[in-house]
Amino acid sequence: METLVKLSFFCFAAASIALAGSLVSYILYTVGRVKVRQASLQTSAGTTVTASSAEFTPGWSSAGKFGSMLAWFGVVLMGMSVLFRTIAAERGPYSNMYEFSLAFVFVLMLVYLLFERFYEVRQLGAIVMAIAMAMALYIWSLPAYMREVDALNPALQNGPLMTVHVSSAILAYATFAVSFAAAILFLIQIRRNISWLPSADMLDDIGYRAVTIGFPMLALVLILGSIWAHQAWGAYWSWDPKETAALFTWLVYGVYLHTRSLRGWRGQRSAIVLLIGFGAVIFTYYGNYFFGGMHAYGGVN
Amino acid sequence: MAQATLQNRSARRSPIEMIVDRIWRFFCSVRAAIYEIAFLAVLVLLGTLRGSDAPQWLGNAIPFTQPAVDWLYGWDVFHSLPLMLILALLCVAIVVCTINRVPGIWKTISNPVVRTTRGFLESSELSASYSMPHQPDTAAQGIQSTLGKNRYRVLHEPHGSDIHVFADKNRLAKLGTFPFHLALILMLIGGIVGARYGFRENSFVVPEGSVRDVGHNTGLSVELVQFSDSWREDGTPVEYRSDLVLYKNGEVVDEDSITVNNPMTHGAVTIYQSSYGQTARLLITDNQDRVLFDDSVPLGLYTSTANPDAPAGVQMLPQVNAQINVIAPDEDRANAPELDTLNLQGGQMFVQVRDTVDPTSEPVSAVVEQGESVALGDINVQFVREERFTLLQVASNPGIPIFWAASFLLVAGLATTFYFPHRRVRGIISRDGDQAGVTLAPLARWDWSGQRDFRRIIEQLERDLGVKATVVERPKETGHPMAEPDQAGA
Repeated sequence: METLVKLSFFCFAAASIALAGSLVSYILYTVGRVKVRQASLQTSAGTTVTASSAEFTPGWSSAGKFGSMLAWFGVVLMGMSVLFRTIAAERGPYSNMYEFSLAFVFVLMLVYLLFERFYEVRQLGAIVMAIAMAMALYIWSLPAYMREVDALNPALQNGPLMTVHVSSAILAYATFAVSFAAAILFLIQIRRNISWLPSADMLDDIGYRAVTIGFPMLALVLILGSIWAHQAWGAYWSWDPKETAALFTWLVYGVYLHTRSLRGWRGQRSAIVLLIGFGAVIFTYYGNYFFGGMHAYGGVN
Repeated sequence: MAQATLQNRSARRSPIEMIVDRIWRFFCSVRAAIYEIAFLAVLVLLGTLRGSDAPQWLGNAIPFTQPAVDWLYGWDVFHSLPLMLILALLCVAIVVCTINRVPGIWKTISNPVVRTTRGFLESSELSASYSMPHQPDTAAQGIQSTLGKNRYRVLHEPHGSDIHVFADKNRLAKLGTFPFHLALILMLIGGIVGARYGFRENSFVVPEGSVRDVGHNTGLSVELVQFSDSWREDGTPVEYRSDLVLYKNGEVVDEDSITVNNPMTHGAVTIYQSSYGQTARLLITDNQDRVLFDDSVPLGLYTSTANPDAPAGVQMLPQVNAQINVIAPDEDRANAPELDTLNLQGGQMFVQVRDTVDPTSEPVSAVVEQGESVALGDINVQFVREERFTLLQVASNPGIPIFWAASFLLVAGLATTFYFPHRRVRGIISRDGDQAGVTLAPLARWDWSGQRDFRRIIEQLERDLGVKATVVERPKETGHPMAEPDQAGA
């Protein structure tokens, strides 16, 4: 088991490097290049006048392809890390923040790459990979003892429910991260109308489509969590802080879905709601650090 | 003439009708729904923060916010009037909005308007045109064939020499919004039913070898035959197991061994494993050797006021107007040893008798060894032995079936609405000499996916019919004739 745990960590380390390279590539591709043009003019008085101007141009297309390639490498390595961890623990990697974050980075990268293929645009990678990189740095910051595989305490010993409940949460959060990236680019695009960024329509669609995956998933998280709570604690809803934080996140995205059908709210205001929604996701994700209650399993309380 | 008619109509409406109409419109308003959901979200956020230290961090960082922080910690948000009111408001809005939307949605599904206008086609964000060396009827059949293969329902309507076309798919998915919204109401109903007609005992203590009544008119009693726990080498628990016998009106009705996540259910009552602890088995008699108490006193549900590491228990003795307090040895001597004034050793208990009629009277206390007796005033206390108890949760919730049904409807409604989007295409086929001119446009304003689907349909039409379509994209305009209203249901 120790060998598998180490293998898992080494795969994560390698994935982190690929992720960093991918992030840099995507940023170069998305931000673009600055071309400085200079022109000189000889005047009749014998002096030379020089003028210069800066022009923004699209980034190297090869940077985008390189970013995608490195991201796929990273996904494969992260997948291996999660797989080795699963085999070592003989259960899904969901029992503490180290395992949960490992799985989240894997799913986040995979979900983004699927969106990239579906929409055939790469620019969201600059933001989504930044989120993945931030999460990877968080994993690196966790104490080493959390990398050890611990047995589950009695309350968590429900393999099927824990697997489906936590997997749904990870998938929901990953899609919300993609919608967050789309919202940021949308707000930039409606102001700057940058030619090499995806159209505002497409970004609006990406954000919406991501939420149509994440919103039902988060509903499933709440329902499965209720089923599990009923089975373990005798009550399907106890106003536990982690439960209500997830409910708050779900309600924010409920607001978003309603804004899309309202003239004057669709577009910029919807995008702002997506930003708030992802803030709620982060709040829920890291809630173990400051919530009490029955979800204090993250290994950080 | 029309204006006079309009004036006459409004003059006929009574004030009550106008008020009802205003209220109806309010509840159907998407804008109002957004504000209501947002308000609910804010309340949920406040309640969540109340369960954390985060507000106190704010109070520490910005001292003048401390009164607001104290107010927040003192406000039971999740049982407050504002929360009840906003939930009630949302329920009413869902019902009214549903009633308002049903006719429109049903008409769209069953009998949509086929006729369109050239103005719509010419000003649509996206449209496609092509010509065919056929009659309009043949062109219509071609569209029917191609769209039919893509699961579109295709309707035609002749107008003069033109044929108007309407095609849509996933029309039944529009109904998905109803089970989803109904589910929200059912969940609230399930919660109310559970709270009103169910019960939940969070700290149901059963010492080993003892029987305890569940109460709540169930007729049930629970006996703990044996409690067992297992631990790993690193000190983490593996399992807590309680071997139980369940009685109903004195008869055995069930026996089972329960662990966390594996409760026992009998009828509408479920028994859950929660925790466990120590007990002190006591035999208490009076001066005439009459038995006042012969059972276990659970320890750990209380602690000593002087030493929080010393588990304690309380037992009332109503026959002699007394209360007996029991304190066990300190469980963590390394922590604040100066508080351990009793300095009890293993196998010892501190027992104290208080007069419940005259609480100011001096209590009588003593330390008793296991197996021995001690006289405390007019009663004798024998510390028989240490045992264990299991801490169970016993619950009955008749709202559960409603909740599960609502959960199914919620997920099914969401999946239907989101994963089967309603796609619509309108068009006009006109005669142009020997040719049929076809113009099609999707109802997909600001809908990138819908427009992409339309392009794919056009590509397939080109392949199937051997035509070349001209696709026109137009910039968005404000004040579009198909502008969406501010109310659901239109």
